[in-house]
Amino acid sequence: MMNKKTDVLVIGAGLSGMMAAARAAQSGKKVTLLTKGMGTLSLTSGCIDLWGYEVDNPKQPCGSPFAQIQKVVEQNPSHPYAKVYDVLKESLTFFQGICDKDGLTYRDNGGENWLLPTAVGTLRPTYLAPTSMAVKDLNKVKQIVVAGFDELKDFYPEVLVTNLKKSKLLRPDCELTVAHLKSGWKKLYATSLAHRLEQPEGQREVIRQLKPLIKPGAIVLFPPALGERRDIDVAGLISKGLGCPVYEVTNLPPALPGQRLQDLFLKYLKNQGVTVILSSTVTGAQVAGNRCSHVTAEGAGKTFTISAQTYILATGSFVGGGFDSKPGQIEETIFGLPINTGDGKWASGEFLSLKGHPFNRFGIDVNDRLQPVDGQSKVILENVLVTGANLAGSEFSIEKCGNGVALASGFKAGKLAGEVSR
Amino acid sequence: MATEKVQVVVVGGGATGTGILRDLAMRGISALLVEQGDLAHGTSSRFHGLLHSGGRYAVKDQEAAKECLEENMILRRIASDCVEPTGGLFAALPEDDPAYAEKWVKACAESGIKTEELNIKELLKKYPVLSPRITKAYSTPDAAVDGFRLLWSNVNSARRYGAKMVTYHKLSAVYRANGAITGVELTNTLNGEITSVECQMVINAAGAWAGEVAAMAGLEIHMIKDKGTLLAFNHRLTNQVVNRLRPPGDADIFVPHGTITLLGTTSIAVEDPNSTKPSEIEVENMLNIGRETMPNIDNYRIIRAFAGVRPLYQANKGAGGRAVTRNFALIDHEQKDGLKGLVSIVGGKFTTYRLMAEKTVDLAAKKLGNNTPCRTAEEPLTQPVTSEMLERGKKVFGVPGYKKAAERLGDAYGKVVEKAEQDPSMRRMFCECELVSASEIDYVAKDGDSKTLSDIRRKTRMGMGTCQGIFCSYRTLGALGNNPQFTVGHREFITEFLQNRWRGIRPVLWGQQLRETQLSTGIFCSLFGMERMNDE
Amino acid sequence: MTQKHDKHLILDNCIKCSICVANCPVVKVTDKYAGPKQNGPDLERFRLDEPRAVHPSIEYCSNCKTCDVVCPSGVNVSAMNCKAKGEYVALHGAPIRDQVLGRVELICKAAQIAPALVNWAANVKPFRAIGEATFGVAADMPFPRFASRTFLQQYKPKKINNPKGKVLYYPGCYVNYYTPQVGLALAEVFAHNGIEMVVDSFNCCGLPTVSNGLTEVAKGYARNNVAKLNSYIEKGYKIITTCPSCNLTLRQEYHELFDMDTVRINNETYDAFEYLLMLHEAGKLDTRLKALPQRFGYHQPCHLRSVGFGIPSLEILRLIPQLEVHNLEAGCCGLSGSYGFKKEKYPISQEIGQNVVQAIQEAGVTQNITECGMCQLQINHLSGLPIHHPIQLLAEAYGLPSYLPK
Ligand SMILES: Cc1cc2nc3c(=O)[nH]c(=O)nc-3n(C[C@H](O)[C@H](O)[C@H](O)COP(=O)(O)OP(=O)(O)OC[C@H]3O[C@@H](n4cnc5c(N)ncnc54)[C@H](O)[C@@H]3O)c2cc1C
Ligand SMILES: Cc1cc2nc3c(=O)[nH]c(=O)nc-3n(C[C@H](O)[C@H](O)[C@H](O)COP(=O)(O)OP(=O)(O)OC[C@H]3O[C@@H](n4cnc5c(N)ncnc54)[C@H](O)[C@@H]3O)c2cc1C
Ligand code: SF4
Ligand code: SF4
Repeated sequence: MMNKKTDVLVIGAGLSGMMAAARAAQSGKKVTLLTKGMGTLSLTSGCIDLWGYEVDNPKQPCGSPFAQIQKVVEQNPSHPYAKVYDVLKESLTFFQGICDKDGLTYRDNGGENWLLPTAVGTLRPTYLAPTSMAVKDLNKVKQIVVAGFDELKDFYPEVLVTNLKKSKLLRPDCELTVAHLKSGWKKLYATSLAHRLEQPEGQREVIRQLKPLIKPGAIVLFPPALGERRDIDVAGLISKGLGCPVYEVTNLPPALPGQRLQDLFLKYLKNQGVTVILSSTVTGAQVAGNRCSHVTAEGAGKTFTISAQTYILATGSFVGGGFDSKPGQIEETIFGLPINTGDGKWASGEFLSLKGHPFNRFGIDVNDRLQPVDGQSKVILENVLVTGANLAGSEFSIEKCGNGVALASGFKAGKLAGEVSR
Repeated sequence: MATEKVQVVVVGGGATGTGILRDLAMRGISALLVEQGDLAHGTSSRFHGLLHSGGRYAVKDQEAAKECLEENMILRRIASDCVEPTGGLFAALPEDDPAYAEKWVKACAESGIKTEELNIKELLKKYPVLSPRITKAYSTPDAAVDGFRLLWSNVNSARRYGAKMVTYHKLSAVYRANGAITGVELTNTLNGEITSVECQMVINAAGAWAGEVAAMAGLEIHMIKDKGTLLAFNHRLTNQVVNRLRPPGDADIFVPHGTITLLGTTSIAVEDPNSTKPSEIEVENMLNIGRETMPNIDNYRIIRAFAGVRPLYQANKGAGGRAVTRNFALIDHEQKDGLKGLVSIVGGKFTTYRLMAEKTVDLAAKKLGNNTPCRTAEEPLTQPVTSEMLERGKKVFGVPGYKKAAERLGDAYGKVVEKAEQDPSMRRMFCECELVSASEIDYVAKDGDSKTLSDIRRKTRMGMGTCQGIFCSYRTLGALGNNPQFTVGHREFITEFLQNRWRGIRPVLWGQQLRETQLSTGIFCSLFGMERMNDE
Repeated sequence: MTQKHDKHLILDNCIKCSICVANCPVVKVTDKYAGPKQNGPDLERFRLDEPRAVHPSIEYCSNCKTCDVVCPSGVNVSAMNCKAKGEYVALHGAPIRDQVLGRVELICKAAQIAPALVNWAANVKPFRAIGEATFGVAADMPFPRFASRTFLQQYKPKKINNPKGKVLYYPGCYVNYYTPQVGLALAEVFAHNGIEMVVDSFNCCGLPTVSNGLTEVAKGYARNNVAKLNSYIEKGYKIITTCPSCNLTLRQEYHELFDMDTVRINNETYDAFEYLLMLHEAGKLDTRLKALPQRFGYHQPCHLRSVGFGIPSLEILRLIPQLEVHNLEAGCCGLSGSYGFKKEKYPISQEIGQNVVQAIQEAGVTQNITECGMCQLQINHLSGLPIHHPIQLLAEAYGLPSYLPK
């Protein structure tokens, strides 16, 4: 059986794994990133959520997420943020640097959260948003035109308008306009719409149909499909044509903002000399004492082993595939690390509630160096670092912190792996 | 307070009630059916969907077996689009008493149920999911029945004969004068509005609620309410109904239905007919038993669990659960309690609903002085969709979407196809798991009976497939923007829908279903923030 | 590798996340295709009861396998699609064009009678116009040029004393009939490193037949090939390929599509660079390479990506001093074998390929390398730039005959 050698092996190509690989590569390590499939990034809004609501008043969107995170860290030392708080700001800067260089700028809102519209007309709090989503001064806008495409079955301007109208954030006299555009195609997916809008004629069509509806002080909201390629600024081009700002809102997957970020990172990593192996699943690990000596990977081709100094576990939670479950039983599939399931209750009675669900909090307990620990805080494997959705203690869907935790913990793991001497 | 007048009010929109409505209407008796929820709110959508061949009862109760067989054959004829003639399979394992198998073969022959011994090796090759320990297997004429469709077909047919039906109306009081029924009070369960209806007769077909309805007339009926839980697997494990060849017990039947397989069921006495929450322990027990017939059952994905309450009639109090007769009882309260104009029909099985209706309406008709004979066994419920229409459907919905839609829509298929022909955007599949088109959803939403997303779900199967409605619920809401009943309260619509689905998913929350659920918390909370929608 | 026996289990893994849809190159550029999720796992549930539950748009799947690569749930979407395509063709028949294009082996054998004449005729404009009008073969897509002599005709095995390893080379149709230089360069590299290389005549791996829904034909090829390969494996030979699609087909598709037991073949079959990498890891590869001060763009063929082994050629080429290889990282090139030769799919194929063109321009490279012959054809057609197999660069760096145009 073939054995591959590397300094740092990152398992998983979600945001946390890609951040880890990027940071470790910066330290000059030989980095291999191996993944079974794409991570949840392309399912997300494409925005980096840090923390959404006030800790003490969970219905109230918070201003600065950092103040809230500080509270979380103080009150709840087992929250993942407590392990990565030291690098949080540094990791955001690093992330923004990578994106910026490739022309996909991520903006913050002067230290405060954005409140950005979604396809159902809610406003979601998030910290970093790509320019194409970062709606500025929503409270001053005089007209919001919501542009849907008749052939796209995943976006309905009426739904957005019906609910956004209820928001107290808007000017009382803000006018909401529904626009039904026709693409000329029989059916559209987010990606095919994006592709069409990359073509000049696609942009012209949209501008022609929208222009008559635009009044002074208007903005236009689109489904998140304003192009896929990063070398064509579709939002900018349409905006120029219409003479008003245009934005993408958050919607169901597939959506392009997450996709763009994922493509950007994969490409960035390859350019940094990271060996990227796709379509291969790590199925087990060889452990000697409290160190992992190698892992086994299986592709459609044959099985091989990889040995590394440091292994970064970034395989995600249930959706990502890091955890598997049977009735009453949950396992981490590679190292068999213990999973903290709190009081043993898996789910809440109400599907939608502020409590969220315990299963979203399930994960691996770690120390400050992101090493997995057991119930007695003893390190289980010293050369394995755990990141992102693998970590125990956060409810990404309710706290609004998924990509934030992934980004900071990935960064920290990469940094720590970079410090290991040969 | 509006007042209406009919000869008969039928209480209960289950198989029995809708069967009665149709029979009454075909005999020219004016009737109104009232149902407190959506049609099939009760047991008739919370059952196994097995159109019994009688095989299951042959040893213990030949009379019941023959009834089943006869009705099975009738339904295949009059409701061919609601019946999937899968055929059945009775399989014995080494631990099952071989003497029972012998008795069973004989009893089936005596009841007229055709059985044929199967070659085990071939059987296992065809269905690798079955246990290699099977010792003997026989085929039977069992079938799968779509309860929901059948109920609607009954109602549509009855409406063509002039009958009326209202859903979301609960019978809340019975008016009586001089020892006779004079009318009923109805409460709209969506808005609390009260109406009354004048009538000469009330037929109580309220299933597990029959006792409650009788109580409104100040009478007593003893029902045993027997909860049974079912598991829905994500795909067809076999293409035949699989039974265990032994005396009937818990969790020993697998019924393939369209895209899924139902495993059931348990038997637990409950007090409240609304006890339809499946428990985790029931799920576990069922898997333990199911594993005997299908050893790898744990690796297969279960998409939801649900439970129904069997309305078992207890003539003499005492015996419980499965030992109580499945045969039905027709109670003439005039004779029994001296109240003229009230008839109750209780117990029975889905398979025999038509026969139950026939017997009930025979009695009712006699009392009303109507002597038109019953024709429900002869006249088909629906006109089969023409092959020309099917071809046209194929062009707009593709294979197998066109066929699935035809099965679900029956008579309404033509309209749905035409709409899709005119407007290509109506051809898009909103529910990709169960292949439900925009056109179908639009049609059902506008049919006047659909009040919630769950109503649309039941009629179309949208949201019943693998993803359990994550994507199609939002699409449906969006597409219904111009239907007045769906324009307000998006949060309520989605919450109601998701909560309904969640009840079924929660007891089977592991493996792929847990992944799916995490994905949906990501979509509805992370992306859409629906847990806090309109809270500000 | 473990081969699962109940295929329906995989069906249950799909959580409908649509990551496959988001990444499918065909969905992106046309509204004619219902997408990987709908054609694959969605309809597969219906096919258990109704094997004909196949969406007519299935023919638009190019079998690039991107969906398999990106799926976080391990769903083998493309295999479901291939089987469905087979059902569809079994039911509706395939156009003559697809029957011909799918049978690459036959075309090649026939052309061998007079390759020069065929080459001339194949790219004469009026002929191609007739071909497009009558059979639906896209007139603008150039056919590859037949070599005057096949690889098997040219290759003379060298006797190697005390070989470090012995391999059977499976050249595949493309190398054998169109680019024998690839096989010859490989032979040089192997001989140089003390590896004994034998050849034999095989059937086409069958991928083009599968992609055109001609399942039965493919199954016949598969049976013959498996038997013959096994006989070599028994004699201690490793199987080597230079074509990623042949590689994938031998290793995975025979099992996925025809339920054949290929565990042994899978374990003993290597992409040429994978084999060289293994030698290198074991310290047995000669690393005395001369400098090649040149820049190349590298395109990763889809089928190499889906094997799940990374890019072994880049790891080896990194050993060559001063050679700069820029990974274009542009996804599918769009040709997908015979797909891009079909009139109705040619525009789709060209549209998909624009990503590669753009990446080449961005990187500013003027020559490229890639392992797959079909990708070479498409990229050359799209960019007009020369393109080679990476093994030729390695041969060059060893100072061996590399068969690169001088
Ligand atoms: C629908 C949805 C929407 C969301 N929206 C947002 C949002 O808008 N903003 C936000 O901040 N957060 C959002 N989140 C949360 C956020 O996506 C996650 O918390 C975060 O991205 C997790 O990243 P990760 O890298 O830890 O894991 P993942 O993204 O889950 O990545 C795991 C990776 O590991 C790979 N893998 C798994 N097992 C193996 C194995 N054995 N071998 C090899 N590879 C393996 C997988 O293929 C995958 O590439 C959302 C989540 C969901 C589900
Ligand atoms: C788990 C399970 C599996 C089964 N499997 C099978 C099987 O495979 N084959 C088979 O043949 N049989 C089966 N049965 C039995 C069969 O489902 C029932 O016998 C049959 O559905 C009963 O129909 P019904 O119309 O009498 O009652 P229901 O369907 O319960 O209808 C009664 C209706 O009355 C309504 N109602 C009650 N009170 C009021 C009121 N006050 N006002 C207005 N409406 C009211 C209720 O909402 C309800 O919809 C099964 C039963 C269970 C529980
Ligand atoms: S096949 Fe895979 S990628 Fe596609 S929807 Fe299913 S789980 Fe997602
Ligand atoms: S194989 Fe390629 S073209 Fe076919 S569905 Fe998958 S991604 Fe799309």
